[in-house]
Amino acid sequence: MRKGNFVFCIFLIAIATYAIFAATGWSFKTKLFPLAVSIPLLTLLVVQLLLMIGGKEQTGESAAMDIDFSIEVPPEVARRRVFGIFGWIVGFIALVYLLGFPLTVPLFIFLYLKFQSNIGWLTTVAITVVTWGCFYLLFQSLVHIQFEAGAIQSWLGM
Amino acid sequence: MIPFIFKMSPAEAFAFLLGMHSVAATTGDITSVLFGVPGEAISAATVVDGYPMAKKGEAGRALGAALMSSLLGALIGAVALALAVPIVRPLVLTFGSPELFMLSLIGISCITSLSGTTTRGQIKGFAMGLFGLLISTIGQERQSGSLRFDLGMMYLWDGLDFVPVLVGIFAIPEIIDLAVRGTSIAGDRPPENLSSGVMEGVKDTFRHFWLVFRCSIIGVFVGIMPGAGGGVAQWMAYAHAVQSATDSKDRGGFGKGDIRGVLGPGAANNSKEGGELIPTVAFGVPGSGAMAILLSGFLIMGIMPGPEMLTKHLSLTFSMVWTLAIANVITVILSLAILDQLAKLTYVRGGLIIPFILLLVFVGSYTANGQIADLIVTLIFGVLSYFMVLFGWPRPPFVLGFVLGKVIETYLFISMTRYGFSWLTHPIVVALMILMVVVIAYPYIQQRRQRSREPAHA
Repeated sequence: MRKGNFVFCIFLIAIATYAIFAATGWSFKTKLFPLAVSIPLLTLLVVQLLLMIGGKEQTGESAAMDIDFSIEVPPEVARRRVFGIFGWIVGFIALVYLLGFPLTVPLFIFLYLKFQSNIGWLTTVAITVVTWGCFYLLFQSLVHIQFEAGAIQSWLGM
Repeated sequence: MIPFIFKMSPAEAFAFLLGMHSVAATTGDITSVLFGVPGEAISAATVVDGYPMAKKGEAGRALGAALMSSLLGALIGAVALALAVPIVRPLVLTFGSPELFMLSLIGISCITSLSGTTTRGQIKGFAMGLFGLLISTIGQERQSGSLRFDLGMMYLWDGLDFVPVLVGIFAIPEIIDLAVRGTSIAGDRPPENLSSGVMEGVKDTFRHFWLVFRCSIIGVFVGIMPGAGGGVAQWMAYAHAVQSATDSKDRGGFGKGDIRGVLGPGAANNSKEGGELIPTVAFGVPGSGAMAILLSGFLIMGIMPGPEMLTKHLSLTFSMVWTLAIANVITVILSLAILDQLAKLTYVRGGLIIPFILLLVFVGSYTANGQIADLIVTLIFGVLSYFMVLFGWPRPPFVLGFVLGKVIETYLFISMTRYGFSWLTHPIVVALMILMVVVIAYPYIQQRRQRSREPAHA
């Protein structure tokens, strides 16, 4: 955790440093605010990094007013599940890119319920159909959201 | 909805537009509590304590509190609108860009100073606030039109939209946590007695009535100030709720499901509607995008906002007061009727509910610009937010910095252009600077007081 926190702090320092270097070449009006923000940001992050190097992790250092992740699950299982859900999220976005929202919605719901949640065939198909119906009715018929066609449909000229 | 008002009378048109707009924050709180997905950008602060309450099996209580505090907030906002128009004119006219700049900084300071109980925790809080401000600078700079941090992508020219960023920041870590736990949102706890839970939340609102009242006043005040709006009001109210904790132990419950963390933002994000209407109606100065649309409604109806709203069109002004009150009463009654069923969703197993939350998240994100890039932005900020939670870097200051960034930059630019550095000596600016120092120092003072009290008790 300590190592991860250290790496995260370095990552933020890299962003702040990039922001300062990028901003120095701009006109006064353009760079005023980014510099006014990124210089103190870099200073605070360096102080934080030095405190992390120099001292032990303090109790109460974790963010107040924010959630904590559950700790009941063994770390190995938790890590596997984190990668798993990120995989599904990335897969969802990839499907939207390839097929567009209207086709992705039923396909994703079906795949997730069947292969991730291990729901029975009949229930999976029923939930998929109902979800697709609700999606079509609400977002396409009522709200008229214009969903882009997927890349595959574009390649096929559909 | 503007096209629908052409054939309406002014009173009908404003009841139509305002009634619909004024309840968005109320219903936005529902998904914030149930799924950790803010239904509206102005409902983000409700996630921080509302969703942990749902995870503790207290969704009904959190929703009851959110709705009742929203109703009280809206009513206080409506009363403020009725009373304040003649009084508030000098206040609004006194506050120029330098004062509004300082006020926005106080908004961020409130939340950052409470972001940790140690020096390092507070450094993280301030760093996150500044990081949010930095992210808000992405895109075209408004005054000169120059591009900043656009990485050669046209998508970034307009800057990052609030919706994909906020949804990613709040919803993705919650979805991951739900997937990791492998249970329902409420976990393996026995189902809450929903009706009594909702009633308990309603009672909580009255148990903490003065907190709700103070947060409503904060909402009204922030609403009056042009540009600040619900993004600031909810977090200032949340910070006030945290500050009202008696000691650091009492404060430790915030973020883990403290009912006061639901009541404060719930009240403020509704009362600010009344506040926002004051400059819009009295001076024709809209304080937010929604108020600008309402102002266009005035012009379509052939009515000029200004002093006439207090004389010739006084009945129309009061119809707005009643609209605010009645729309919220109707919404809360309707919502209370279905809350029991909604709260049951927190007992549906995670494997069943995750794909639907993902769908909700990404369709919501897509509506921002209708581009795949919106989904990628949600993912990127979701990953960032996951690490922020994992390593204890607070998200609320980041969100507030991001939401306020453009407004703060505009005020800073106008102040510098108009006054050079002399605006730093304006009396109200100096007073607000002192207030900001007090806000930042307050947690330390409170901690010292508590430490000095402890040996006395020992």
